[in-house]
Amino acid sequence: MSSVTIRAIKKKYGSTAVLHGIDLDIRDQEFVVLVGPSGCGKSTLLRMIAGLETVSSGEIFIGDRVVNDVPAKARDIAMVFQNYALYPHMSVYENMSFSLRLRKQVKEVIDRKVREAASILNLTSFLDRSPRQLSGGQRQRVAMGRALVRDAQVFLFDEPLSNLDAKLRVVMRTEIKALHQRLKTTSVYVTHDQIEAMTMADRIVVMNAGRIEQIGTPLQLYDTPANLFVADFIGSPSMNILPGTIGTQDGATWVEIADGLRLPVPATYAALAGQKVVFGIRPEHTLLADAATGIPLEVEVVEPTGANIQVYAKVGGAHLCAIFTDRHEFRPGDTIHLAFPEAKIHLFDASSGARI
Amino acid sequence: MSRKLSRSLLYWVLLSPLVVVILFPFGVMFVTAIRPREEIFAYPPTWGFSEFRWSNFAEMWTKTNFGGALMNSLYVSVLSTAIALLLAIPAAYAMSRYRFAGKGLYRNFLLMTQMMSPIVLVLGLFRLMMALGLVNNLNSLVVTYAAFNLAFTIWMLQSYFNSIPRDLEEAAWIDGASHLTSLVRIFLPLAVPAIAVAAIFTFINSWNEFVLALTLMRSSEDFTLPVQIYAQVAGRYQVEWHHVMAGTVLATVPVAIVFSWLQRYLIRGMALGAVK
Repeated sequence: MSSVTIRAIKKKYGSTAVLHGIDLDIRDQEFVVLVGPSGCGKSTLLRMIAGLETVSSGEIFIGDRVVNDVPAKARDIAMVFQNYALYPHMSVYENMSFSLRLRKQVKEVIDRKVREAASILNLTSFLDRSPRQLSGGQRQRVAMGRALVRDAQVFLFDEPLSNLDAKLRVVMRTEIKALHQRLKTTSVYVTHDQIEAMTMADRIVVMNAGRIEQIGTPLQLYDTPANLFVADFIGSPSMNILPGTIGTQDGATWVEIADGLRLPVPATYAALAGQKVVFGIRPEHTLLADAATGIPLEVEVVEPTGANIQVYAKVGGAHLCAIFTDRHEFRPGDTIHLAFPEAKIHLFDASSGARI
Repeated sequence: MSRKLSRSLLYWVLLSPLVVVILFPFGVMFVTAIRPREEIFAYPPTWGFSEFRWSNFAEMWTKTNFGGALMNSLYVSVLSTAIALLLAIPAAYAMSRYRFAGKGLYRNFLLMTQMMSPIVLVLGLFRLMMALGLVNNLNSLVVTYAAFNLAFTIWMLQSYFNSIPRDLEEAAWIDGASHLTSLVRIFLPLAVPAIAVAAIFTFINSWNEFVLALTLMRSSEDFTLPVQIYAQVAGRYQVEWHHVMAGTVLATVPVAIVFSWLQRYLIRGMALGAVK
């Protein structure tokens, strides 16, 4: 096990820059998730750590060793691919033992390690099967087993769950997390699914357009997103975003959004009066209020999920989502009144998107 | 009668002229080959014969030096197939996996070579082989057959190679394999269907080739089967048709058997290569 350090990494394909200088410290035994929309460069970064893509500039360390020019086979890493990449002409046992056989390990050692990994992953009864006789979840486990037998310094995961159905994805998510808690191998995990990132990561790296937007623990990102992109990306349904202008009068401070609606904000923002901002509130942080103090909204769509009700409503020309755990009987066209607790309000600069 | 049965009957009726056209020469070939000599020109012609004259084959074998020609054909076909594959596999791999300057040009060049009929090139090839001192040498056929089949082989292998996921090789590298190891232990085993198809094509093309063999081989001990059989017909006062036909049966049937045995690879290989 070892740390991974990334210093000012850039990647260019011809004249197109894909990564614009990435700095990242992944600590020993840490589980770091790279998350971002497709095309943000997260997979490229992972493949560079793996040694499958060349580095245009900057340095990658695994432990204390610069690995820029070390070929993939000598980096002592293991990787789980999105489409599993199992060798179709080999049995499960042969797939899992391939790396050990290449290293010319003794037969008994190979056998012990493969059986050990197989029993961890519940694959013992499938060792003689060929990959095409397995279900998606089992193939995924074999791919993990192939990584497991290696005792590699770092595990890399490239969207390993995206080919599984929703239910299995949740199960495998937990299994991977439990496995990491048990083995404590440094892991880098790429996904576009923010729920996967939130549930599995020690720390999340949010990437967008070849840059890192924010690095932090899941709750740091959720509670104090550094900018609008992170605020919008983390959380589902995503944060409500209402552009407006800060105003203040007689000790009251507010953000005035379209239609002249005033959303109260803490008095600490009074100094920024006149500034164009974006008001953010998560759907799960909205509260029902009475008609005198609340902001009026017109209900458009009501979506019960069982655990809660998601209400989509119109406010000041914008649309807003609110989540309630109580079973209210709202109908489209109803007017409801909401309050936004001051502690849960996020304000961002309208031009830069940075958190205020 | 069920709908399905009547429909397939209809299809077979529609197909039957084609079947007849294809099988007719084989029928004539076979019937003539096993007939006694006296019945060959029986009038009116019939499909019947008085006895299976298997001795036709034995006589033909010695009289036409069939064994020698068979060995020549095998030598040329096997060797040219091996050389074509040996050159085409790395070329197709490079075309499928690497970017390099002039790749598109090279692909078009390969395609263009396919548009030229070998007959157009015969004269030039003959002079080339003269200059190299290879006329009357079977190796001249080996080289030219391999060259003629290279373009098709590369095209076909490349389209199949493209369908083998790159991830598999990358996984092998990460597992600690060198490029060569991943090629030999992961990539090539998966490419076997395509390689088999390419081999069949090259082998059959070389086996059946006539014009170049006729031009480049001047003495009868170097003749390949098509030329040797042709030599039994051309420029003779008397043609032993039963021997000629016995020779053609022996020259065609083994290849036909091998072909039909390997055709499942052929269909699988072509379908797989074409999908992507």
